[in-house]
Amino acid sequence: MLRESSDQNGTLDSLDMHGAVNPESDSGVPHGGLLTAFAEAAVRQTDALAGLREQIQDELGAQQLVDAAGVVANFQRMVRIADGCGIPLDDFTKRASEDWREELGLHEFASAANTV
Amino acid sequence: MTTTTAPFAYRQANWPILERIREAHIRSWERLAAPGEWWSGAERISIAAESRRASALVDGSPDPGPGPVSLPEAATFAVHKLVGDLPNVSRDWYEQTIRAEGMSDARYIELLGVVAHIWSVDEFHRALSLELEPLPDPIAGAPTQRRPVGLADHGSWPPTLAAEDLAESEADIYDGQSGAANVREAMSLHPDSVRWLSDLFDAHYLSWVEIGGEQESFRVLTRPQRELVAARVSALNECFY
Repeated sequence: MLRESSDQNGTLDSLDMHGAVNPESDSGVPHGGLLTAFAEAAVRQTDALAGLREQIQDELGAQQLVDAAGVVANFQRMVRIADGCGIPLDDFTKRASEDWREELGLHEFASAANTV
Repeated sequence: MTTTTAPFAYRQANWPILERIREAHIRSWERLAAPGEWWSGAERISIAAESRRASALVDGSPDPGPGPVSLPEAATFAVHKLVGDLPNVSRDWYEQTIRAEGMSDARYIELLGVVAHIWSVDEFHRALSLELEPLPDPIAGAPTQRRPVGLADHGSWPPTLAAEDLAESEADIYDGQSGAANVREAMSLHPDSVRWLSDLFDAHYLSWVEIGGEQESFRVLTRPQRELVAARVSALNECFY
């Protein structure tokens, strides 16, 4: 979805998918580092969370902060449904994502055995 | 622990929370309190309470206490596994769980729906450091024990409903789309969980219509920003899908 939306947005060339799995990598998405840091602090409930909220509010806006909290909340749920049901990848997604899944090391995730 | 109202006032919030989010959260509490197909309202609230206990265990915060009724041991264990040990959920574990005393595939899917949806509402609060909403009081009534017609093996662990096999009573669950996203189909053994999933999906992320097209103007993060946050959360949970 990240690749697809960047493609539709005309920013695929500047996208680096490593930014989604490695906090040290620049995804190329505007304010991506701040948003992924917020996501990590929210998921792990770290002490950095309050400061990152303030930073998002200052740099992006209060509505963007609430929007980001909603996306975190949604995917904290979706991963549980996906991994709790052993959802298979459809053939199209499997073929289209094979190379970068390997490159990003997603096959190392324990849940890969349930999905492929 | 419980309350008769679910105002979702977000009292500590310094940020503008859209009314459509609040309305979806209120509907979530109404759904939670009502009898399901396989669990009573009181049992569903106990599942939600157990998910908060599991979260507290992970965070090292005080135990918020159990729900109003006891659950089968396998159900309690399943809640803790889904909240606190997700990367180690496996097919073997699923098969053992649905065969345990007091469980079945349908009871597992309804339980998963309650855990996942309450977890989502709670995670929204935690991301903004808001006090969690008290759980509602249960609505009396017996589970209907109605299993959908047309279930088949479509690749997920539980049997599911393909869009072309939906009976009239479930005709709405994929919004009339000819092919459902795998995540929706995976929950279709319990159709109300699919409806709940779509409601919160729209409130927190995007509608199913927006997934394939333009996002609505009230969604202020750009689509790539939205998907980057989604991908990071999935990676942190080691979710391959």
